Amino acid sequence: MGEHKEEMRDVTFRITRFNPQVDNKPYFDDYTIPVEKGITVLRALNYIKEHVDATVTFRAFCQAGICGSCGMRINGISKLACTTQVWDELPRCRVPNVVKVEPLRNMPLVKDLIVDMDPMVDKMKHYANWVESVMPEERMGEKEFLIAEEEFQQYDKATDCILCASCMSECSILRANKEYVGPAILLKSQRMNVDSRDGIHDKRMAALVKDHGVWDCTHCYRCQETCVKSIPIMDAIHGVREDALVSRGVKDTSGAKHAEAFMEDLPKKGKLVEATLPIRTNGMVWTLKNLLPMAFKMIIKRRTPPPPPLVKPAKGLKKFREEFNEMSEHIKRDRKENQ
Amino acid sequence: MKPFDIVVVGGGGAGLYAAMEAMKTNPSLNIAVLSKVYPNRSHTSAAQGGANAALANKAKDDTVEMHVFDTIKGSDYLADQDAAEVLCSEAPKIIRELDNIGTPWSRMDDKTIAQRPFGGAGRPRCCYCADKTGHTILQTLYEQCLRKGVFFFNEYFVLNLSVHDSRLKGLIAMNMQTGKIEAFPARTVIFATGGYAKMYWNRSSNAAGNSGDGQAIAYRAGIPLKDMEFVQFHPTGLRKSGLLVTEGARGEGGYLINSEGERFMSRYAPEKMELGPRDLVSRSIETEILEGRGFDSPAGQCMHLDLTHLGEELIKSRLPQIREMSMYFEGVDPIEEPIPIRPTAHYSMGGIDTDIFGRTPMDGVYAAGEAACVSVHGANRLGGNSLLEILVFGRIAGHTAAEEAHRFEPGEISPAEVQSSEEKLRELMKPSGHYERYGALREELGQTLALNVGIFREASKIEKGIADIRELKERFTHVRVFDTSDVFNTNLFQVLELQNMLDLAETVAEGAAVREESRGSHTRTDFPKRDDEKWHKHTTYTYVGGRPQIGEKPVTMGKYELQERTY
Repeated sequence: MGEHKEEMRDVTFRITRFNPQVDNKPYFDDYTIPVEKGITVLRALNYIKEHVDATVTFRAFCQAGICGSCGMRINGISKLACTTQVWDELPRCRVPNVVKVEPLRNMPLVKDLIVDMDPMVDKMKHYANWVESVMPEERMGEKEFLIAEEEFQQYDKATDCILCASCMSECSILRANKEYVGPAILLKSQRMNVDSRDGIHDKRMAALVKDHGVWDCTHCYRCQETCVKSIPIMDAIHGVREDALVSRGVKDTSGAKHAEAFMEDLPKKGKLVEATLPIRTNGMVWTLKNLLPMAFKMIIKRRTPPPPPLVKPAKGLKKFREEFNEMSEHIKRDRKENQ
Repeated sequence: MKPFDIVVVGGGGAGLYAAMEAMKTNPSLNIAVLSKVYPNRSHTSAAQGGANAALANKAKDDTVEMHVFDTIKGSDYLADQDAAEVLCSEAPKIIRELDNIGTPWSRMDDKTIAQRPFGGAGRPRCCYCADKTGHTILQTLYEQCLRKGVFFFNEYFVLNLSVHDSRLKGLIAMNMQTGKIEAFPARTVIFATGGYAKMYWNRSSNAAGNSGDGQAIAYRAGIPLKDMEFVQFHPTGLRKSGLLVTEGARGEGGYLINSEGERFMSRYAPEKMELGPRDLVSRSIETEILEGRGFDSPAGQCMHLDLTHLGEELIKSRLPQIREMSMYFEGVDPIEEPIPIRPTAHYSMGGIDTDIFGRTPMDGVYAAGEAACVSVHGANRLGGNSLLEILVFGRIAGHTAAEEAHRFEPGEISPAEVQSSEEKLRELMKPSGHYERYGALREELGQTLALNVGIFREASKIEKGIADIRELKERFTHVRVFDTSDVFNTNLFQVLELQNMLDLAETVAEGAAVREESRGSHTRTDFPKRDDEKWHKHTTYTYVGGRPQIGEKPVTMGKYELQERTY
């Protein structure tokens, strides 16, 4: 068989550079190298480090998509460099033929493409992301738990998580609030919560419903879209929320009260009474302190929502109510059966 | 820094288990884990297939004795039989313990831990979690260590042991994030740094950092290594990258096919077929290629691993990672077409010489896992026994160190000693006399090893290999670290890893030269038979004047007599 040549072309990699000992802020360096079809972004970075500039700095270990070291933003999306083909990135380049490579977001930058993972580890600790076994330590090793396939299925997919932190980097809430628990931690928390071997569900839940916890998620789904292992992270977050409502009721946080306010308005009007929503969610004091300036601006711009008596019921309210009540009954029945 | 009772080097399965067990044994001890990567990145995560234990969940007639026998036979009778006994009798307990602390083992219909067949095993006894077993075990252990409050020094690169008059004082390591060199005075040190098979570079399934750091550091500190010539080639590495396709793929019923469309294993292991032991299957593939029955490809000749007859459902549920990797790295969907494979350097049987309690010949220094050589794998390791080894012997080493720590006094590490480590590193960054690029050296090392000290070995080739390695070591003295910054200097770490690989490569090649027989993974075409009279013994390697001095050690026998090894 004749020598088979793979397709080649020159590609530019625009890489974030930052050495905290020298630089005030990050900047980009361009490296143009010959790339063969079938090469991953990580192999391109290795080539740059070995042949062009040995100071380009990134983490990489297994190079096979399982250790999670090489999470970085490639053309603006957080993913693993080792499982990303350069060829697949070319149509996604904003500047033709220039692949942009940046560090993960929402974590402190250490150098070039390396961010500090400690905040994520600290959160794993804070939210008890481990099984605290119901079996006493001295009896361990004697026999195995009996676990049904159905239970295993509940957390099987979540245990694919390699803590690459791509979801943490894409999370829109973490971007605004670094103290927010974050999708990876919620995923792991849910995985532990549904494990019958675990005995600290209530303790974990108590931490998850506090400020910066599960209720801060805005369901933007970016975590799930970006997950390198295709884990349905939002399902897990919804799981934690449902669990919170069932196990703790609607008493804990503004998030839970917010959900309760929805439940109050919908059967009455078929839509939200937005004017009083902040008061019912966060209380009068908080609302006056935080939202008064905005309320004035809204009045000036004539953008205020109507006061409760003026909110007209939605069209087709009767049919909606019937379906709403039927659904509520259904949920109640389900819960009873599960108890 | 306050002296530690125990410093564990390495945060993979063995290191984490050691730390966890040491805390359990004596909660008042001051224990630290140093790792050059975050522990959850360790190479344990790449182990796909599973861990063997005679739970008898699947085959009701399975016993610990059968597991011991399979292990010893698989080792080509080079395993120490007392060590194999410990490994296999502790196995059921450790698998259950992992279950008890949250490892998500796959289950059978009766809700017990699932088991599947694996190469060289008489019964299906490999416990697994789909094809992510190592990953889930590592996560579980890391979670439990966080729960117990183990003190982690993440991203610390260990430079050397501090030893005075053959007594351990502690170790010296660099904080990778700051570049600061720090002394860790310690009563005991446990090496759990993984294997050295990455020295084969592009012909290796290992992570970039599997450079045998612990072995090299111990070796240079005067602690002997053992059985270094035994490097296992896994039969099914992906053709282009060397990345691994788990033995589980054959355990689930995959076929190996040559270019004539033949299941060629019928010629080499008529009974076990694809599930013969790894050394045998690797040699069979290599022989098929040498005799012209390989598939041509731009990356060299290869064989096919055919899973297509297993069906979409089984592949998706039991081998999802394999499917993903085949698609990412070869552009092949195993549901549709066969995966191109060839043997890849995968596992190092050799390592730091330890007894069955994890002790090395130096007081206060212990080792466990792939970094150690107890030896339970002898000349060839069985699939599913490596995860088991890191768990069983990680725990034992942690326990022993915790019991013995009070016997040793931590030494003082002087600032001068720390400074001398630092000066050595600064020397590498000087431009004058330093011009070699580490990347080229690393690649050449892998090439000469694969060519001359690979699956098939013979005197003249090995001599060439040794000469090449010496030349590379000479060139290494001129290697240049171009990055002079303190913060996260990966250029520097890669150069230090190369140095470790070069020192260990010399022991591998010299060991291969002296062992004039074929046993397990070590195949000499000029000495094709096993020679029990001359070579039923371990080799040892002591660092003398920058070179290995080779010695020997008897194999501990037990109830199993030497037999010919056929499958």
